[in-house]
Amino acid sequence: MKALLLTLFILEGTVIFSQETNGKKDTLDYYDMSLEQLIAMKAHGIPSELEELINSLIAAASRHPLSARESPSIVTLITEEEIRNTGARDLIDVLRLVPGFDFGVDVEGVVGIGTRGLWAHEGKILLLIDGQEMNDPLYGINAFGNHFSVDHIKRIEVIRGPGSATYGGCAEYGVINVITKSGNDLNGISVSALAGQMASAAGRRNFSLSAGKQSKDLQFTLGAFIGKTNQSDRNYTDFFGNTYNMAGNSDQNPTCLNAGLSYKNLSARWILDQYHTTERDEYDTITSKPHPIDYTSRFLELKYSARMGKKNELTITPKFNVKRQTPWETVWDDDSIAPDYSKTALRYTGNITASYNLTRKINFIGGGEAYWDKAEDNSYDSSFFSNGEKTVHYSNQAYFLQASVKTRIVNFIAGARADIHSTYGSAFVPRLGITKKSKKVHFKALYSNSFRAPSIENINLGSSIKPELTRVFEFETGYQLTRKSIVTANVFDIYTKDPIVYFYDDSLQTDNYYNYGETGSKGAEIEYRMRDKWGYLILNYSYYSVAGKERITDYAVPENTSMLLAFPSHKINLNSFFKINKYVGISPSASYIGERYGYTHVDSTGYTVAGKFKPVLLANLFITIRNLAPGLTIGMGCYDLLGSNYKFIQPYNGYHAPLPGPSREFLVKITYESRQNKKTTE
Amino acid sequence: MNYFGKYSVICALCTVAFIGKTGQTYSQEIDYKAYTIFLYNFMKYVEWPANDGDFIIGVAGESPVKKELEQLAKNKKAKSKKIVVISVMNPGDALLCNMVYIPSSKSSELKAISGKVKNRSVLIVAEREGLAKKGADISFVVDDEDALKFDINRSVMDSHNLKAAKILIELGMVVD
Repeated sequence: MKALLLTLFILEGTVIFSQETNGKKDTLDYYDMSLEQLIAMKAHGIPSELEELINSLIAAASRHPLSARESPSIVTLITEEEIRNTGARDLIDVLRLVPGFDFGVDVEGVVGIGTRGLWAHEGKILLLIDGQEMNDPLYGINAFGNHFSVDHIKRIEVIRGPGSATYGGCAEYGVINVITKSGNDLNGISVSALAGQMASAAGRRNFSLSAGKQSKDLQFTLGAFIGKTNQSDRNYTDFFGNTYNMAGNSDQNPTCLNAGLSYKNLSARWILDQYHTTERDEYDTITSKPHPIDYTSRFLELKYSARMGKKNELTITPKFNVKRQTPWETVWDDDSIAPDYSKTALRYTGNITASYNLTRKINFIGGGEAYWDKAEDNSYDSSFFSNGEKTVHYSNQAYFLQASVKTRIVNFIAGARADIHSTYGSAFVPRLGITKKSKKVHFKALYSNSFRAPSIENINLGSSIKPELTRVFEFETGYQLTRKSIVTANVFDIYTKDPIVYFYDDSLQTDNYYNYGETGSKGAEIEYRMRDKWGYLILNYSYYSVAGKERITDYAVPENTSMLLAFPSHKINLNSFFKINKYVGISPSASYIGERYGYTHVDSTGYTVAGKFKPVLLANLFITIRNLAPGLTIGMGCYDLLGSNYKFIQPYNGYHAPLPGPSREFLVKITYESRQNKKTTE
Repeated sequence: MNYFGKYSVICALCTVAFIGKTGQTYSQEIDYKAYTIFLYNFMKYVEWPANDGDFIIGVAGESPVKKELEQLAKNKKAKSKKIVVISVMNPGDALLCNMVYIPSSKSSELKAISGKVKNRSVLIVAEREGLAKKGADISFVVDDEDALKFDINRSVMDSHNLKAAKILIELGMVVD
């Protein structure tokens, strides 16, 4: 009844009450509001757009959503509007603007993510799309670069610190929680086409479609994405001086379908993600012709939320997931060029979570999760898993508990998760957070343990591999300068024990993993955000250092003891949007990437040689013209305006030369949305 | 001091510097007009025993809500009675009132005020959450999404010989 009254009230548009309405007539009108209408009243008046953003509830930071300023994590929230305005081509463009985040090259053309100076590509940052864990169980990676559609995204919650106490062994250093548009957000269809042109080759040719509708308790969405691009049009030179041009040799062609259906508290999600790539860069020496590598994933989830109690104080959510992933698939008719690799991991996961509100201020969450993995080697050659078979099985069970207490002085969040794996043993990761938000100031003091669960191939290729354990201290403070601007600053200290390290045995020509030594980083991040009628401006700076920390030799910079390979100590990002008039907006964005180090070649004796990379400025500009015809938007712009010659550097000494990023890319994007009544800032 | 310590200090100093430099800063302040509109509706939907005279609202101590209530008093009546706003400077002043508003900063005075008006028809409304369980008839609640709501304690209201309309009880959250 209350919800109905509230809905009617909002629909009638009468909730325009604000502190700015001082006129006598208005005041009298408001005094005569019915009691039912009052439930839409905000204690602090109508929030500004910035306040709406910084006080919006963050689901990813804990299982009990709290506002961005109170959640027990260092959080970046990216909105659909920000993604659209910048003309972001893919998740690299979006996530590069997040403090501390950057990218490096692994092998075979794959670009992976790092954070706070640490390479997080293999199973250390969890990527969730609509709750589905995209990291594959074989290596735990996500391949970035024209892979995931940004057109479907409603918002991204980025946890820039550990998330294992909530999400388990793939969230050691962070969580990227992508939430796509719901049926209610779409209420119709949205289609977009993107065409790009690099300096000497075609860029993106992407097409995406979203459709969705909500009708009472029933809601559905369907997203489709198909694309094609060259990863770059520049020359790649390997460690030994061999060169080829990447145009025509570095395809990144995604095909993705994402369907969601919900009825009342029951929901289902199905995702198909096929990512076809080609490459010639291999591990070290280039190949004579392009080499296809495919990544295929399928996800299915069924979830039900049962709410019980007089005031719905108890929620029990059973969830069942299946995912089937075949990453790095290389089936090649000539094994002298590249060996076949075709392994499929199948994971069944069951999860039951109970959330109980003892009072409005005290919440307990507890539950359990179990998964069962089966990996199969599909190739016809003589490769086997370490058990000597073509198939291997593992299982894992996990138990988690969290308590959150809001008091007038501070909020406390304490939680822990214990995982017990059938092969590598157990991991226990507690966390503790104290947060406080007052009128203008907020602070967070966070202590978290997290872990990286060894992936199937870590177990297969490693010897007695065990989870790597991480302990992180974070402190954040923020100050709301005005209703339209806020500055936040945080410091962090990360310590990882027994990291799982990759090495290539040259004599045996085999991949290997082992737990070795310690690593970590410390640093600071600061961000300024302003939002007004004219648009918005987001400026952030991030810094890390490894001075005084133990370093893994393969990740260390020989001539600089405060940095690690590939990632800059200093990084500045700008993301802005200026509304020129009702129809036209312009979005300058930029990343200043400070000095970096990376291995570039081998010397005459065959030893790898590291070099220093000068700072790079990646500057972008995107112009949007809305409502050229009803629902029609045209965007055009350019990424890497200055032609910076940016390269992705390998974050370890792995014989892979820096991989050129795309050259200056001009873009045109056409979007049509059938829904006209969406609230946007543009 | 280690690096982490140094960064913490820098972080804290930055915050202090910003606070110091922004003399005319403001953020989302409490909207007392919203609170006043709730109070006006409480006047409408709570039944007091019949009595003559004005409808007197007392505000414990000083609070911006008083200015808003005075604005209300100029423009509206409480069930045809003139509204008068006074300050409650000591618990005894509450005996003069039909309704007493206790701002957050004066929450510690709840016990004294509720003791003073025991069995008297005085509606005690507290700004701070949770006080309806500690002697107030009604206390406000601000939820995670900043919506203004209220707790209502029917036992306390009964003891004050006050009767809340059904719709008021349905919209509030009963805590007795």
